[in-house]
Amino acid sequence: MAKSFDVVVIGSGPGGYVAAIRAAQLGLSVAAVEDDRPGGVCLNWGCIPTKALLRNAEVVNLVQHAERFGIKVDNVRPDYAEAIKRSRGVADRMAKGVEFLFKKNKITLFPGTGSLKSKTTVEVKGSAGTETLEAKAIILATGSQPKSLPGVTIDEKTVISSNGAVRNEARPKSMVVIGAGAVGMEFADIYAAYGTEVTVLEALDRVLPVEDADASALVARLFGRRGIMIKTGVKVSAVKPGGAGVIVETGEGRIEAEQVLMAVGRGARTAGVGLEAVGVQLERGFVKVSPMMETSVKGIYAVGDMAGAPLLAHKAMAEGVVAAEAIAGRNPRPLDYTNVPSCTYCRPQVASIGLTEAKAKENGREIMVGKFPFTASGKAVALGETDGFVKVVADKATGEIVGVHIVGPEATEIIHEFAVGRTLEATVEEIMHTIHAHPTLSEAALEATLATLGQAIHI
Amino acid sequence: MAVSKVVMPKLSEQMETGKIIKWLKNEGDRIQSGDILAEVETDKADVEMEAFGSGVLRKILVPAGSTAPVGTLIGVIAEPADDIAAVVSQAGGGAPEAAAAPAAPAPAAAPAGAGATEMASRPAAVPPQPRREDPAARTPAPAAAPTAPARPVAPALAPVQPVAAPSDGGGRIKASPLARKIAAQSGVDLRLVQGSGPGGRVVRRDVEAASAGGARPAVAMPAAAAGAEFEDRPLSQMRALIAKRMPLSKAPVPHFYVSSEVAMDRAWTLREQLNALEGQPKISVNDFVIRACAVALLDHPGVNASFQGESIRVFHRAHIGIAVALEEGLITPVLRDAHAKSLAQIAVEARDLAERARARKLRAQEMTGATFSISNLGMFDVTEFSAIINPPEGAILAVGAVRKVPVVGEDGVGVGRRMMLTISCDHRAMDGAMGARFLQDVKRLLEEPLRLLI
Repeated sequence: MAKSFDVVVIGSGPGGYVAAIRAAQLGLSVAAVEDDRPGGVCLNWGCIPTKALLRNAEVVNLVQHAERFGIKVDNVRPDYAEAIKRSRGVADRMAKGVEFLFKKNKITLFPGTGSLKSKTTVEVKGSAGTETLEAKAIILATGSQPKSLPGVTIDEKTVISSNGAVRNEARPKSMVVIGAGAVGMEFADIYAAYGTEVTVLEALDRVLPVEDADASALVARLFGRRGIMIKTGVKVSAVKPGGAGVIVETGEGRIEAEQVLMAVGRGARTAGVGLEAVGVQLERGFVKVSPMMETSVKGIYAVGDMAGAPLLAHKAMAEGVVAAEAIAGRNPRPLDYTNVPSCTYCRPQVASIGLTEAKAKENGREIMVGKFPFTASGKAVALGETDGFVKVVADKATGEIVGVHIVGPEATEIIHEFAVGRTLEATVEEIMHTIHAHPTLSEAALEATLATLGQAIHI
Repeated sequence: MAVSKVVMPKLSEQMETGKIIKWLKNEGDRIQSGDILAEVETDKADVEMEAFGSGVLRKILVPAGSTAPVGTLIGVIAEPADDIAAVVSQAGGGAPEAAAAPAAPAPAAAPAGAGATEMASRPAAVPPQPRREDPAARTPAPAAAPTAPARPVAPALAPVQPVAAPSDGGGRIKASPLARKIAAQSGVDLRLVQGSGPGGRVVRRDVEAASAGGARPAVAMPAAAAGAEFEDRPLSQMRALIAKRMPLSKAPVPHFYVSSEVAMDRAWTLREQLNALEGQPKISVNDFVIRACAVALLDHPGVNASFQGESIRVFHRAHIGIAVALEEGLITPVLRDAHAKSLAQIAVEARDLAERARARKLRAQEMTGATFSISNLGMFDVTEFSAIINPPEGAILAVGAVRKVPVVGEDGVGVGRRMMLTISCDHRAMDGAMGARFLQDVKRLLEEPLRLLI
């Protein structure tokens, strides 16, 4: 006898668990199917454990430079295995939090691999056997997995992905990170802080290629100063065993290292979901969805990484809400994909929203640019964290906030002022007339906005 | 000495922009507080703008003939030694360079959106202070109870409001800052744009769609040598306001209509007698109607009422709006406390209001606060018609011409003077019988017109 639910969600990462909770809030009966632990990659293997590791890296750095604060610390012994253990503890706690939220919202969790059997049937293959769930609506949220380069196998030993990196308690002496996106730069930061000799290779001409060129340039310079080797415009032709562990061949010669971290991007997890069986269409490897997150099959929705770029947890959560509300007949407001903040948690942090200066110009907009360095921020100087800036790109005619790019302490928190502003269609004028508390890092947001009109006070 | 900013004052509830008709002072003139600085054309009337600060009119930022949103910096009063560069540079709002370089052929539409920067200082100009005794009666749909004591006079405070406060039938137009700026630059009238954002908020895409779809008033065509088939006349401010407001009445307000024919023979005779008196003002038929309605409204507060959503506000005073036709639209000045005024007083005041309405010289407070309106098309020989209620009022009386008609009397057919009255009522606030009883009383008062003299 099949169990019947209003909504069955396959996958319980940020897209899936948020969709499940929102649907339950709206009075629907909800089942969640998960083949790993609730929370998905984000909570277990991605965002959260890496943030814990990055915090460790930050503390290591602080302690090593404690003398700048007049604190002498001898015999500093960072223990990488302990960092991983702490990170696992943080991830476990957050995953348990999702399990608790499921209970609280009376969501039934089915451990096992879910796949579509029909437009209204999901089969769950678990360790205890197979179960069939009937659903009035289905939300697919199976996420994504790390990609590799052609001909290179990720064995999670010498060639690892982020999945291995957050698990391995052993830290290599040397590492080549392939890909200078957010994942690559964050792990480069972590490993380097613990003493690994890190080389970052990027095929495009700069690190963090989706960010504003000013942000890329500053981060590359600061990483370089910390002894991280950055090589951009480098094509990797082969990765093979040899030397200290692995040899990376590039157009500019070979690099030996103990390990390679593959951080060239992620691809949708669509295999084994049964998409073909019911006719869910794909588009460039991702599930094709409507603004209400419905797939090409009525009643089947898809959210998160599998539903396309940007592959970000917060975008997945927002999509989960839209899908759940659409199913409940709430006519939700579709996502504004031009207003999704992008964050990289390396040191210094990088956060952005909207268009880069170059992209805005390419679009033919007449823009004004305001930039304010944290060296001129009282709070940043007091913290001893003066690397970075806030850069505001605004439309010359209307003052529209076209894009904002922040490098520096707590950049990933400061960005939300502009996210809210853009949602409300505020212009530079409204930011300018908002009193910012002193002393705060957010004052730099105000000053950079003032700078678009040449009115910055503290520079 | 302080630098005083002169900003476009908000002269009526509905006012969003004002046009400088002319500056009565020139740059360099010494200004005393209270001097008339300029004449401003609003959507309703032409209003004189007084100076609030003293000093020298150092800078005129919005020249005569130009329009500026409420709150926009339009001039600066300061002592000759004061540095006004900072104040002036703010006038450009998003693009100070444009303001600082007057040589650049900026659109005549004047600095848009600059008003928001003027919050900090006290306005240097305000509309003439009201000389009437009852500021409470001036607010069209006062949030306070009708008996509440005087509220601050809205027009006097309004100039410090930023540009972001255009109103819509007494409420704000909800629009994002960006939408406002794009609208100002592309000449789209926000009042005519349907908002698609949360709660009907006008957002950028709405303005862009309106702009692309030609919702903006087309610029008048130059006179074609051969007669053009048609012309697109730009909406006057008044026409735009009427176009915006009338559907807001007709669609959501369920109108019902009650008509009655009134024998005007006695009123006619009485009027002739009164008008024969020396030293007394001439009295029109409409003055009789105003007086009759004012008296009847006190007895029928249910008709002198405004639907408020959760409640019905019943007025105990009769402030009567008198529709006055103008070339470009119509305007409804308010004759306050008509119930307490004699026929002669009503005659004098109604004439004064109508004349000043035609000359567009009404004061802001004379255009709002009616509890009931009268529209008379008798002069166009209209037999009868029905009018659209002007919210938040609950009813309006449409008055036809006094006609000579054959009347069947006891001795056969004679000639009588008859007039048709049609009242339009808001069914949410009142019912047919209430409208009918009110109309019956108005009819009785007009048919026994001596009652109007008591």
